[in-house]
Amino acid sequence: MQLDLGRNKDTTRALAVVSSIGAVALVTAAIFALRGSVPVLSLGVLYLFAVLPVAVVFGLPYAVGVSIASMIAFNYFFLPPIHNLALRDSANWFALAVYLVTAVVVSDLAARSRRRTAEAEQREREAAFLADVAATLLEAEYVQECLNDVAERIAELLGMKRARIELESLRRPDKGEAAVDLQLGPRRVGRLFFSADETPNPDSTQRVLPALASILAVAFERERLSRAAVEAESLRRSDAMKTALLRAVSHDLRSPLTAIRAAGEGLGREDLQFDAADRALLVETITGEAARLERLVSNLIDLSRLEAGAARPRPELWTADGLVARAIETIGSDADRIEIALPGDPVAAMVDGAQIERVLVNLIENALKFSSTTDPIEISAEGDGRELLIRVRDHGPGIDPREAARIFEPFEHGTGSTGTGLGLAIASGFAHANGGRVWAEAAEGGGTVFTLALPAASVPAEVRA
Amino acid sequence: MSGAHVLVVDDEPQILRALQTNLRGAGYDVETAATGEEALAAAAVHPPDAVILDLVLPDVHGSEVCRELRQWCTAPILVLSAVGDEQEKVAALDAGADDYVTKPFGVDELLARLRAALRRAAPSTEPVLEIGDLRVDLEKHSVTVAGRRVALTPNEFELLRFLAQNEGKLLTHRMILREVWGPAYGGESHYLHVYVSQLRRKLEPDPARPRYLLTEPGAGYRLVAPLAARS
Repeated sequence: MQLDLGRNKDTTRALAVVSSIGAVALVTAAIFALRGSVPVLSLGVLYLFAVLPVAVVFGLPYAVGVSIASMIAFNYFFLPPIHNLALRDSANWFALAVYLVTAVVVSDLAARSRRRTAEAEQREREAAFLADVAATLLEAEYVQECLNDVAERIAELLGMKRARIELESLRRPDKGEAAVDLQLGPRRVGRLFFSADETPNPDSTQRVLPALASILAVAFERERLSRAAVEAESLRRSDAMKTALLRAVSHDLRSPLTAIRAAGEGLGREDLQFDAADRALLVETITGEAARLERLVSNLIDLSRLEAGAARPRPELWTADGLVARAIETIGSDADRIEIALPGDPVAAMVDGAQIERVLVNLIENALKFSSTTDPIEISAEGDGRELLIRVRDHGPGIDPREAARIFEPFEHGTGSTGTGLGLAIASGFAHANGGRVWAEAAEGGGTVFTLALPAASVPAEVRA
Repeated sequence: MSGAHVLVVDDEPQILRALQTNLRGAGYDVETAATGEEALAAAAVHPPDAVILDLVLPDVHGSEVCRELRQWCTAPILVLSAVGDEQEKVAALDAGADDYVTKPFGVDELLARLRAALRRAAPSTEPVLEIGDLRVDLEKHSVTVAGRRVALTPNEFELLRFLAQNEGKLLTHRMILREVWGPAYGGESHYLHVYVSQLRRKLEPDPARPRYLLTEPGAGYRLVAPLAARS
């Protein structure tokens, strides 16, 4: 049994006194009851039942007090002359003295063992604390974010109400504040601050703080290294990105520009003879290639915003109808090839309408590109309560399962495809930015089905009407 | 309205040149300005019948120019916006611009928008509005599509009324919210897109391919007569 260290000292003392008196009274009453059947002198030893619990619970000083008090009570109530502290028989003196010595020795032993148990328990808590803190800190992405939690727990461990840890802090304690250093050899890892009216358990402080300091130091170092690794990785990625971008730009921007320039210069030359059909063809080349450039540039802008993390969604409540309608409006004339099946009940998601429009437009354009102009594209939407699923299915050549994941990487495209391979990467990027995902799989009966899954949101009944 | 006086404001000479040539070719009387200040000065000297305004100007934001112009000028303003200026575009529309085209735009589209803007009168005050097969009777609170009666909730009706009275005009989210849900709009206003998709389910022959109630990406909605829009 261990008393709550955090409890007010006065309360503890009062409780100890009351318990001591109660224990003596209880045993006295018991002896009173038994004294008819057993020689009273041999019952004195029963007072040990009062002394021992007090020794265990409240420690030696109270146990000694109880020993003396019980000796006096025994003398007063049971040893002749009764109700008098004088003793008639000198043998009784001897018995009382033996009792007192026994009581004190036993109390001391009990108190010692209690202390040892308490200490063992405290050490166990310290060890558990350190193991736990080590696990937390070494797993945490940011050490700083765990510090409040760690400080709260160490305050509890050291018997204080609250404490705070400041890493690499040289701050002097404010008024009414005290501090101990978290020291690892010569290096100060941080400081533990607490209220000046509290005293941390000195033994525990000595044992736990150096260990905590080394855990903090290791966690801090790990965080620094992992940050460096993330930076290196993102640099490497952005390098790979730049190379791919350069390749795409040099090829995909140049060819439409070449066509535009050739057509434009041709039209401008007075020595060339064109009939109306030739002229129309050249003009169509210019406008068509300009449109191609426009798509490429807007894809590159989308992709660079996604890569830079600048594509923060502005979520609003959209129904599947609204999202599909936006995409269809944007697709324009090719939309006639699309067959659409919308759910009977409106299903909705909290997403950025413009970004999801990009996802759907890119999926639909991909489907249009990979199927013959006579084949339909099928779009369907459904909600399963958890997710809003929008599927785009084509009747093209289908997809090799090994390529199904790769096609969402920027500048990658499936076998047999032309184009820059940006559309699906952008679709996947915007889907993720909105808490959703996109995947591709072979459709039953040929072709490919692309699924966009978004976390579903509910539409209140009063709006649904 | 050929021969109308159009003020074109853009700081990029090649765009100014292309616009000027095409607009002149279409029979408009064109004046150009390269900055916001020039534009305001030009408009004061020779009030335009319409303004084509680039949002990104070297001296002020396009939305500022809209606000200034709107203090004394009722001519339609068509803003030119690029991908990425969505917020500036909405600010300009809320500041009084009538419509927008996104760069790069086709000349056909620009001319169509300009014609529509010049033709558009003040919001209709007719008690019965007919838009394509859609008939909205404001007094009787009744709506029919091709003669078929359609039951709308009060919010849906208000939304349709506002769009129909401004047929062809782009209404921003904020304009719609303020009109339908009042100046202190909140609560149900989050559901504007949901209301629109419900309205489409009730009015559109094919709700996934809206022909009346069109989305203006990032800006708002517009109610049009299908034939006019498709021609």
